[in-house]
Amino acid sequence: MAEFDVVTPSVKVADGTLPTATGKALSVVALRKTYGDVVAVDEASMEIAAGEFVTFLGASGSGKTTTLMMIAGFCEPDSGTITVGDRDVTKLAPQKRNLGFVFQQYLLFPHMTVSENVAFPLTLRGVPKDEIRRRVGETLEIAGLSGFGNRKPRELSGGQQQRVALCRALVYRPPVILMDEPLGALDKKLRDQLQVEIKAIQQELGLTVIYVTHDQEEALVMSDRIAVMRNGLIEQFDTPRELFERPRTPFVADFLGAANFLPGHIEQHTDEHTLVRLDASGGLIKARRHQPASGTEVKVAVQPGRLRACATDDGFCTGTVETATYVGTLVRAGVRIDGGDAPLLRLEVPAGRGPVTGERIGITTDPEDVNLFADEQGG
Amino acid sequence: MMELRKTLAGRIALTAVATVILLFLALPIVVILVTSFSSNAFSAFPPEVWTLNWYKALFADGSKWPAALSLSALVAALSTVFSLIIGVTAATALVRSELPLRSAVFALVLGPLLIPQIVTALGLFLLFEPAAMLGSPIAIALGHTVLASPIAVLILIATLRGIDERLEDAAASMGAGRLTIARKITFPLAAPGMIAAAIFSFITSFDEFYISQFLSSVDTVTLPVQVYNSLTFEIDPSVTAVSAILIAFAILALGLVALVRWLGSGRQQSLLSVENTVGVANPGGDAV
Amino acid sequence: MAATLTAGAPGRPRKLLASRRTRVGILYALPVVVYLLVLFVYPIFSTLLLSLKNADGSLTLHWYADALTGVNLSVLFTTLRISAETAVLSLVFGFVLAQAISRLKPLWAGLAMLVVVVPHFVSALVRTYGWIILLGDKGLVNETLTAMSVPGTPYQLLYNELGVVIGTTSMMLPYTVLLLYGVMRGVDRRLLAAASSMGAGRVTIFRRIYLPLVAPGLASAGLLSFILSLGYYITPALMGGPNQTMIATLINQQVTKENQWNGAAAQGVILLVLTLAGLLLVKLVSSLGASRKKRSAS
Repeated sequence: MAEFDVVTPSVKVADGTLPTATGKALSVVALRKTYGDVVAVDEASMEIAAGEFVTFLGASGSGKTTTLMMIAGFCEPDSGTITVGDRDVTKLAPQKRNLGFVFQQYLLFPHMTVSENVAFPLTLRGVPKDEIRRRVGETLEIAGLSGFGNRKPRELSGGQQQRVALCRALVYRPPVILMDEPLGALDKKLRDQLQVEIKAIQQELGLTVIYVTHDQEEALVMSDRIAVMRNGLIEQFDTPRELFERPRTPFVADFLGAANFLPGHIEQHTDEHTLVRLDASGGLIKARRHQPASGTEVKVAVQPGRLRACATDDGFCTGTVETATYVGTLVRAGVRIDGGDAPLLRLEVPAGRGPVTGERIGITTDPEDVNLFADEQGG
Repeated sequence: MMELRKTLAGRIALTAVATVILLFLALPIVVILVTSFSSNAFSAFPPEVWTLNWYKALFADGSKWPAALSLSALVAALSTVFSLIIGVTAATALVRSELPLRSAVFALVLGPLLIPQIVTALGLFLLFEPAAMLGSPIAIALGHTVLASPIAVLILIATLRGIDERLEDAAASMGAGRLTIARKITFPLAAPGMIAAAIFSFITSFDEFYISQFLSSVDTVTLPVQVYNSLTFEIDPSVTAVSAILIAFAILALGLVALVRWLGSGRQQSLLSVENTVGVANPGGDAV
Repeated sequence: MAATLTAGAPGRPRKLLASRRTRVGILYALPVVVYLLVLFVYPIFSTLLLSLKNADGSLTLHWYADALTGVNLSVLFTTLRISAETAVLSLVFGFVLAQAISRLKPLWAGLAMLVVVVPHFVSALVRTYGWIILLGDKGLVNETLTAMSVPGTPYQLLYNELGVVIGTTSMMLPYTVLLLYGVMRGVDRRLLAAASSMGAGRVTIFRRIYLPLVAPGLASAGLLSFILSLGYYITPALMGGPNQTMIATLINQQVTKENQWNGAAAQGVILLVLTLAGLLLVKLVSSLGASRKKRSAS
């Protein structure tokens, strides 16, 4: 999954209109937005490099869409600044920001053909007719829509309409393209397919994209970096791999990795590892070295897929398999840990080697996959 | 679909009764269309001898009809213009803004449609009589606009509601300014609704009788008033031909509206569907 | 603009934008408000005022006393009676026709609706004239009846109450059909199937399930055609006799023939009050229907 690292923009765009091939495309400083007493976005800051695919990931109400709308100019921040390239656009109307926007509801102009829709932003910019025709043709071809130019939007499927919307947003090469859950209205299969397509187009053209979604998998598949948002705060802004493997907060560990959380106490630190005594089973688990700010009470987080079943005397704990669900290539198991009333420990193991219900097993993992968090109150 | 089984007898009975009721609605119109070509313009049906005499008589020397027709057309054109101006602004205010006292404004707009026209006509008479404006085409047009503009407002409200406001946001995100958005996005999308509003305003004014009668003078008589006068005072057989023309005119107008609606909806439903027909009849939707 | 896109976000958009939208709203609402205040509300108020004034300008109620006594009172009763007859008939016919149309195949339903809608947009004057041709002694109806050797022909179908009610009913019918058709489309027919699965017979289903579901719509449609008939003038004047004079006819006569504006104004106000009372009832009925719907939904 999380195999995308930061992609350096490939500068193979023919006409060289890519505005900023390197350097920062957009920066946001201390952006804040409140609605009455509700803080929708709290002091969000980030810098986005040209050619980067950045995703705002969060549940509804996390502030991801509000942040995007502030960048687009559809909603004005209470404080903070937004800079596109070197231009401060904080106070500008949307039409003056020269950004691209792809909406979840496509919002193609129903009275225009596909070509006219894609040509619209170019017409606004006074691009000559021949040039418009050429660029519209090129763009439609990139999106696999050649031959659809004379159709009306309603004659296209949802996926095709969203491709047109994408073309319309990128045909004028805005320095940054904003996408607000563009695949939210499509079914799963089409969504998967378009994720790959959008990513490919973005990489090929070296586009800078800010993408909003609530779907973790989508974010992991597409993004160079993901900003995980909660309650108006950016919890962590990192590459998918870092977020997945080195979550900085329990929320991130839970939201992206659906981690198991086990309370425990730090026993000792070695050079590379920290040993934690689990409260539930009394067993010892080895984690990456972690020095909490205070105290020795920690939460141990391990993702279900990083746990393995082993002989009963090999693991950090033992337990009884209570549920085992076959889900295609995987078996999802719920294990009742001996000695304690902790919730079921969730495991994901390859099908075929999966444990069976009622079996007693030991559970083990690699220290590299174990994250420790200071045990916040109730957190 | 799970539904109650229909008995054959029940269906036949229902169809028969429905046909009779439909005849009840259609016959007065059909009889005029047919009789207008009959040598006996008043009663005998079906006609024994066909003729175009009554249509010819309309334009004979000394006929009052051409003057009435042109006055009605002038008045209707004026009130169409007034109604469109009022309709576009009012619908924008009611749909696309945060209007204080919104429901009060809406109630005011509905008022003329719900209150007996004779009361409105009487009020207008009391307004224009002291101003010595009786018989003025402007006064009649202003009066008709009281009835026609609410219809235009309702149609345009429905039209604007049907246009996704976010399309305008989408255009703005690509760099379109307010004026460009209005010209290239909102106006083309609202055009079918505006045409429908214009047609209905025109026909409302053209057919209006109460206000016209109160506001007309001996010299300025609109077509419906002239029809009424011919039916009550002076028996003029040409009235059948005029009535037939009025019917044709109404059908033409409705056909136009249906066509515009159908084109505007992207030909999604068939031209002759209940949805289209009812939509034509209830341009404002369930606003009442 | 911002309001639509951030509609999902909590709270209202910021003040500045809201006030801009408010300013735009007030500006655009001005034409219609000013127009209707001057040409609709003000004239009605001056009518009201006139109905309360003596020739010397002092306040009086005697125009109302006039309007509610003698011949004028009987005209008022005639108006109410004819309107009630019209409402009942157009409701019954409208119900049957809407019922039939809602069961037709789409093409036929479209055609039938056309027959309902087109007359609705043809001038009432013209349709009334059509009836006069049809219902005369030598009209199509009497001729047909004679041809069928029905005894007692020709019948007197014009210049009496029968003629007026036939005319007004045909004017109101499109309203009731359109209203009731909408109501019937809103009924979930699976409820009827559910009732029959519980063993309810046709009559029971109609009486206990269907009728209660459409009742508020029926009441609204009936009331509305009653209200609309109250102010009707053309049809009663052309198809009725002296005994079918309705209040609108009286108003017209007083203004155009007798120059009796105050009396006309008083009658206009009475008509207005009756209409408003009826509209209030419509509102009451529809809110009753809405609350019933809400209850059944929850």
